[in-house]
Amino acid sequence: MDIEPSDLIIGLMMIAFGLIGLLLAAGAWDNEMYVFGLSLSGFAAVFVLGLIRRHFDKQAARGRHG
Amino acid sequence: MADAAVPTAARTPDYNEDVVRKFVIASVFWGVVAFLVGVYIATELAWPQFNLGLSFINFGRLRPVHTSAAIFAFGGSALLGTSFYVVQRTCRARLFGGEALANFVFWGYQFFIVMAALSYVMGFSQSQEYAEPQWHIDLWLTIVWGAYAVIFIGTLMKREEPHIYVANWFYLAFILTIAVLHIGNNLALPISVFSADAYQVAAGVQNAMIQWWYGHNAVGFFLTAGFLGMMYYFIPKAANRPVYSYRLSIVHFWSLIFLYIWAGPHHLHWTALPDWTQTLGMAFSVMLWMPSWGGMINGLMTLSGAWDKLRTDPALRFSVTAVGFYGIATFEGPVMSIRDVNALSHYTDWTIGHVHSGALGWVAFISFGALYYLVPVLWHRSGMYSTRLISWHYWIATLGIVFYISSMWVAGIMQGLMWRAYDQFGFLQYSFAESVVAVHPYYVIRMIGGLLFLTGALMMAYNMIRTVRGPTAARDTAPPLLATVAGE
Repeated sequence: MDIEPSDLIIGLMMIAFGLIGLLLAAGAWDNEMYVFGLSLSGFAAVFVLGLIRRHFDKQAARGRHG
Repeated sequence: MADAAVPTAARTPDYNEDVVRKFVIASVFWGVVAFLVGVYIATELAWPQFNLGLSFINFGRLRPVHTSAAIFAFGGSALLGTSFYVVQRTCRARLFGGEALANFVFWGYQFFIVMAALSYVMGFSQSQEYAEPQWHIDLWLTIVWGAYAVIFIGTLMKREEPHIYVANWFYLAFILTIAVLHIGNNLALPISVFSADAYQVAAGVQNAMIQWWYGHNAVGFFLTAGFLGMMYYFIPKAANRPVYSYRLSIVHFWSLIFLYIWAGPHHLHWTALPDWTQTLGMAFSVMLWMPSWGGMINGLMTLSGAWDKLRTDPALRFSVTAVGFYGIATFEGPVMSIRDVNALSHYTDWTIGHVHSGALGWVAFISFGALYYLVPVLWHRSGMYSTRLISWHYWIATLGIVFYISSMWVAGIMQGLMWRAYDQFGFLQYSFAESVVAVHPYYVIRMIGGLLFLTGALMMAYNMIRTVRGPTAARDTAPPLLATVAGE
């Protein structure tokens, strides 16, 4: 598994943001924080999925080109 | 500058153009959104029944959506995208931090925009102009902006060119100063980590002072310095001429950034702010005229020997007209900052006209010029789908601006004069409601001007979509002619 350092750092950061988003939504005192927390966790999840997709796309491309 | 001994094409790195393409698309999209919301709220001002009795589309909530969409979403996406393009080309280096960091900046910035807009329509705001988002959204932007700074500065540090081209100086000033302003103006103590509400660190007139130190420098460093970076790269490239005076561009840079940071108090004339502070702000605002016009002259004179291109290249016409509007707005601004002129102009629609001559004429036009340059380059097309459509866009948008700013000048001066008119007994001659009735025709003209500007932007979006969907041009592997005109 040759993961680029920036992918790993950003991926870990996004996991942390996703968890923070869930905590904010869970304890929200108002609608604004509830919407922000849920959106942040959703955004982080989609971003991490995008990172994983890009990683395997690159791996497949490298495989095709020998 | 490029090393003449090594062929340009032979050592061109693999630039990250993907993130630039994303920012170009975002800029066009948010531009249309910003102008559409602007037209809608202009319609609400002319005919308040367009509020439709719905809280989330009333003027108070949609106005920050319009300003944030125009400044941060449209202008910001154009700035971030062009800065990534320019820094790579002029440093001959791929963006620092890898693809993931660049994508984080792009998507993180878009997330900030959507969250801010959503919070405004939900009725959440910290009531600071151009800094409406609550503390948690501010914190998110700080993280994204920090990542942006890391990419930009990292790319500068790993550059393969010994010289840092002047456009990068302007972009760097924009990035660093906006970071300081954003953090300084948004220092707040949340009532709970789970609540959107927070107490501002400064209160009263101190808060107003900090707010307008931020507010005016958002104009100075977001809407001026960043777009000057754009000007110093894209006008020489489009005109195929070097910058008229490189020395003047350096003088322009240092004088502009030194003077701008002091000008904020002119937003608080005749308030509780101490007189000496108001005078200081006024004096620095008047002095700002010199570097502003020095930059304008430098931009215009870059066309020396290439003025004929304006006949055949409407995209360049956008950029050059933008510089003209920059000159108009930076003349009008110092005039309005004079305390006695401000006594007439403040709180009137003259200010709105002034802001829009800068926002539409300078910011949007210089961005349109850069976008029309970038789209064929980034998608490897031989040119835009239709030059005639660019020309139509240019004339419709220019007409829209003329309608907008002339109607606001008339409305604003009329308001100012009506509010200060006394009758023979010393009573106010007009009620506030009478001044509202008097400006109604000009509000309608303003709305028509905005509609024209929006129509032009839709034509641009259509032209760009057709360009991107059109056939790919054969990639030119030869070194570009006069590659050194903009630091490459």
